Amino acid sequence: MSAMTPSPATAHYREAFERLQPVLGGSASHRAAAMERFAELGFPGTRDEAWKYTSLRRLESRRFVPAAPATTSVEVPAAFVGQRLVLVNGSPVSALPESLGGFTLGTLTTASEEQLLRPLPGGGTERFAALNAALSTGPLLLSTTTGQRSEDVLQLTLITTGAGPTLASPRIAVRLAAGSRARLLIDHVDDGAHEHFTNAVLDIELGAGAHLTLYRLQRQGERAFHIERIEARVGANATFVMRDSQLGAALARLDTNVSLDGRAAATEITGVFLADGSRHLDSHVHVGHRAIETTSLQDYRGIAANKGRGVFNGKAIVHEGAQKSNARQVNRNLLLTAGAEIDTKPDLEIYADDVQCSHGTTTGQLDPNALFYLRSRGLSEPAARSALTRAFAGAVMARVDEPALARYVHDELDRRLVRLLEVTA
Amino acid sequence: MLSIHDLHAQIGVRKILKGVNLEVKPGEVHAIMGPNGSGKSTLASVLAGRAGYEVTQGTVHYLGEDLLALEPEERARRGVFLAFQYPVEIPGVNNAYLLKAALNAVRKQRGLAELDAFEFLALIKDKMKLMQMDESFLSRGVNEGFSGGEKKRNEILQMAVLEPKLALLDETDSGLDIDALRVVATGVNSLRSPERAIVMVTHYQRLLDYIEPDFVHVLSDGRILRTGDKSLALELEKRGYDWVKQEASAA
Repeated sequence: MSAMTPSPATAHYREAFERLQPVLGGSASHRAAAMERFAELGFPGTRDEAWKYTSLRRLESRRFVPAAPATTSVEVPAAFVGQRLVLVNGSPVSALPESLGGFTLGTLTTASEEQLLRPLPGGGTERFAALNAALSTGPLLLSTTTGQRSEDVLQLTLITTGAGPTLASPRIAVRLAAGSRARLLIDHVDDGAHEHFTNAVLDIELGAGAHLTLYRLQRQGERAFHIERIEARVGANATFVMRDSQLGAALARLDTNVSLDGRAAATEITGVFLADGSRHLDSHVHVGHRAIETTSLQDYRGIAANKGRGVFNGKAIVHEGAQKSNARQVNRNLLLTAGAEIDTKPDLEIYADDVQCSHGTTTGQLDPNALFYLRSRGLSEPAARSALTRAFAGAVMARVDEPALARYVHDELDRRLVRLLEVTA
Repeated sequence: MLSIHDLHAQIGVRKILKGVNLEVKPGEVHAIMGPNGSGKSTLASVLAGRAGYEVTQGTVHYLGEDLLALEPEERARRGVFLAFQYPVEIPGVNNAYLLKAALNAVRKQRGLAELDAFEFLALIKDKMKLMQMDESFLSRGVNEGFSGGEKKRNEILQMAVLEPKLALLDETDSGLDIDALRVVATGVNSLRSPERAIVMVTHYQRLLDYIEPDFVHVLSDGRILRTGDKSLALELEKRGYDWVKQEASAA
């Protein structure tokens, strides 16, 4: 339908794609098919259930220029951990080492296109994953060999930058071989100079017994648009851990889809978000239990203030036959000031009878008794509010086991909370 | 130090304090006793600045200042301390953080330099010993998972660290067994000094066996009906509160 009468926005990206195609690399047909899929699905409206609380009208009205493969490096914030790689608008600017931070690195010239640009069907972000597959300039493969265990953290800083509003399409495929262990920090930043659009895809597969910890830091400036699809397939006895910190961007949507495919596969997806100012932060988590003895935990803490808006949609499906599975969902939200809003929807679907599932969601304000207690001890109201807000996030932040990152997020929460609470006090 | 004149306060439309008068001088220990619902805890809450109480009449002066015009934290920084009847559990804010932040807020008001981590630890170690509290408590959340007795000991520890000029103890004896009561009383007694005043709100005479008051007031139906010395407390223990009310209405 929309393919026959493409919207002006869809037509814009198709034209840009055609101009860019000669320098993108990979097979033209693969890219073109992805572009077709994007054009077919088009931009969603808020009548689309997956986009009910998040309007993309503003995003659709902009004409971002898809980035060409980057050739020059740019300034990025200092690294938290020793091993770091920077992608500029989704592509490396110099020759990559063969391995870094516990991973072997691959690109379109050394790894298969099937691995790097495969379609990710389903869900509200399929269209954007397809757009990403069409336009991604430097898809990167991070892999391990069987039994390879590393405690290093690879910090992958993805910066979106350009002389005008730019669309960057970073795409990372992670393949952990059986029994291997690795840690990865994905760090989203931008130059803040224009309204850029980052459309990212992270495509993960964990072999039997593999263990991946993914730290995620979203810290673009106040004008950024960000859409991201994280897809994880988890094999038998493998574990996918995600520690998410959403602090930046004006409008962001993250879909995390985890499929627990093998017996005793496990996942833990925890995060905090701070929707202050007029930020709009939307997270959808979807966990599918497809094998016996699989376990999942989703725990997000959301904080909104001023005109900030948060959306959390957590879903766990226990498929038929996934007996002795355990699915837990927690979402706690804190509204710091009048005018802020958080919409939360926990969702459990169970098609097996011998399972343990629970979900809990709360949205509220700071406890007035706790606030009075702290003030009666001499703490100013902003200091008391800030302490209680940090405590609220603390239960989830305590799981961030990379100290330098935890410190950064704590400090950033502190700085922003004290500032906004002093203004509103 | 504290001068309460004709204080009326209410919650919503419910009138609770109906003309309280009280003078407290430095060095004095006052006990405010009375039956349940007489307004004892309301008085303590109004003095500490808890929200939800409306003062409709009367004045409260503290060291010459209009106490009711100050925010709760301003009262605390000027030396008013309320030991809560029900100390609040605050998971995620640890005791060490609260004690240090509170102490430095008070020190700043007094024109003293902030303490660094080492000076702070040295200062609280002795006070924790006095209150028989283990050092591991410092890294725990404020009152998190504490027993009733631990919570009350923690209140007195905070008081010992902050060295207030005016300490308000709201039913500090409630829920304590005799051993915990002794520890709490020892802590309070260690703080008695010619510069400091203590106002204890209590339902039972028991606490007064351990902390001897200079004055005992009977608060009933929002008014102080009778004032005496500690012998009044013993009489109340024997005869209950009704005779005070009867004598007051006869007068």
